[in-house]
Amino acid sequence: MDLMKSDLEKILSLEKVSYNYLDTICALSDISFGIEKGERFAIIGANGTGKTTLLQMMNGLIDPSSGKLFFKGYEISKQTLKDKGFLRFFRERVGFVFQDSDVQLFCPTVLDELLYGPLQLDIDEKDALDRAFEVMRMLNLENVKDRPSYMLSGGEKKKVAIGSVLTMNPEVLLLDEPTNGLDPKTQCFLVELMFALNDAGKTLVVATHDLSLVDELQANVAVLSEEHRIEKIGGVNEILGDEDLLLRVNLIHEHMHRHGEIAHKHIHSHYLFHRHSS
Amino acid sequence: MANRIPPFLLDTSAPGSFKKDMGKVKIPFIEKGINHLAGVIKKGYAQSELSSQNGFFQKMDARVKILFLLFLIIIVSVKKDLLSEIYIWIFVFLLSLLSRLNIVALYKKILFLGLIFGFLIALPSAFNFITRGEIIISVFKLSKSYTFWIYHLPAEIGITREGIYGVLTLTMRVINSLSLSFLVLYTTPFPEILRALKVLRVPDTFLIIIALCYKYIFLFAKIVEDMYLAKKSRTVREVKNHEAREWITERMAFIFRRTQLRCEEVYGAMIGRGFSDRLKLYGFRKMRIADWCVGLSLFLAGVLLLWI
Repeated sequence: MDLMKSDLEKILSLEKVSYNYLDTICALSDISFGIEKGERFAIIGANGTGKTTLLQMMNGLIDPSSGKLFFKGYEISKQTLKDKGFLRFFRERVGFVFQDSDVQLFCPTVLDELLYGPLQLDIDEKDALDRAFEVMRMLNLENVKDRPSYMLSGGEKKKVAIGSVLTMNPEVLLLDEPTNGLDPKTQCFLVELMFALNDAGKTLVVATHDLSLVDELQANVAVLSEEHRIEKIGGVNEILGDEDLLLRVNLIHEHMHRHGEIAHKHIHSHYLFHRHSS
Repeated sequence: MANRIPPFLLDTSAPGSFKKDMGKVKIPFIEKGINHLAGVIKKGYAQSELSSQNGFFQKMDARVKILFLLFLIIIVSVKKDLLSEIYIWIFVFLLSLLSRLNIVALYKKILFLGLIFGFLIALPSAFNFITRGEIIISVFKLSKSYTFWIYHLPAEIGITREGIYGVLTLTMRVINSLSLSFLVLYTTPFPEILRALKVLRVPDTFLIIIALCYKYIFLFAKIVEDMYLAKKSRTVREVKNHEAREWITERMAFIFRRTQLRCEEVYGAMIGRGFSDRLKLYGFRKMRIADWCVGLSLFLAGVLLLWI
């Protein structure tokens, strides 16, 4: 497997990647960008723009219809992931937290779920158990360690899904709509967790349409358009400050309402509503 | 939060490269099969919506197509010789060509399913211990013949001419039935099929079951595919066949539980929207002269196939 020297500084990079769903419907078109080690990176876009598909490709779960993806300069593809050495190298270092935790959790109990990764990596049982308990302590999951996943609340399931990936100690975490459907307290907990993990050196890639999350994370942002292309890549302030861009990609909308006799129009989004002026 | 990060997560000493020449990963057949099946179901679901609207069958009224399908399926079942089945196959193949379907993709699917549900299931009947006759391929010989109750095992075991003819006829029947069904499914949007069945006086309960099943099959395929991808994303080494089987058994239990929950939710939503046991559809199209003409031509073609 050849190493692409030019991509060494990027931990993940995509070159002109396209994907057609069912070989017919365009899900992603001509996507190119790079993510540096330790970066916080957000992929934002309206529903159906291809955020999940993009993350799945970055995790080597589906192959692009055209274009190439690289992890630390090594190509990620169906073929390269057939190599035992690369499969282990890649999966050990890139963790994916699915949007639907139900499909991600497949072990009998929470503890088994957290042990699955380390045991697969041939870490001895004592160390694997240490990892699982440390992660449970961090995520406040100790009380539910013997429960099956279907008996957990939505927030607990999400924490277990993240924990099951963290016990493998990945360098890159791909998170698909991590705060979707969670109560405000759990959302806040997750944001703090993401910061702590990033401070610990982890690269975070978050796919979301929640602009307030992007603002909180102060991430670099790639905006996907409804034509499934990259509309713009930039810093969080540059992207979130560009109201025309956000209107164009349908992440915010113009909203008309009345105050008594007076009707007025303004741009509406949860993020803009909470935006601080300084 | 930062002071609660476990020390092992701060360890960034993992090597930047990997051991090469460790060999290739073999994906268990059962896992590949599940993923493939989910893909086929999803493609099938989307196909009628994606199918070109310019072909011969696409322009035809759904009622004509459904009647034609039923008529030809009866003919396929009634005919007992291989040559007639081959004529029917040629006829359906021509219709598929006229309808501008993707022939390669279509027949890959049909032949795969025909091989499993036709050829492989019927294959044992080709042997002389089931279908007696002239042996054309001798498989092995026993020292003597055995008789047990109503069963007889001859000394020479082999495939008979009559047996293989029966297997091929049955396989062609399966292929023809599949070809016809796919032809209609791929050229007709699902709501049109429901409307046609409603006009043809199919009971509402049956139609509701078909509509819900159709929807659920797609949801089921999506769940199966997502679960497969979730497993794949955490798989760092080759999965042995027995491990794959165990995982699939566990997941079947999960799907069963999820199905039950979904079923209750869907029923609750239906009741909440005033569901009664009647299915009310709208927008029935009037039959045009062209539909009558095409319908009559197809009927005559069917009679001809029945006659030859």
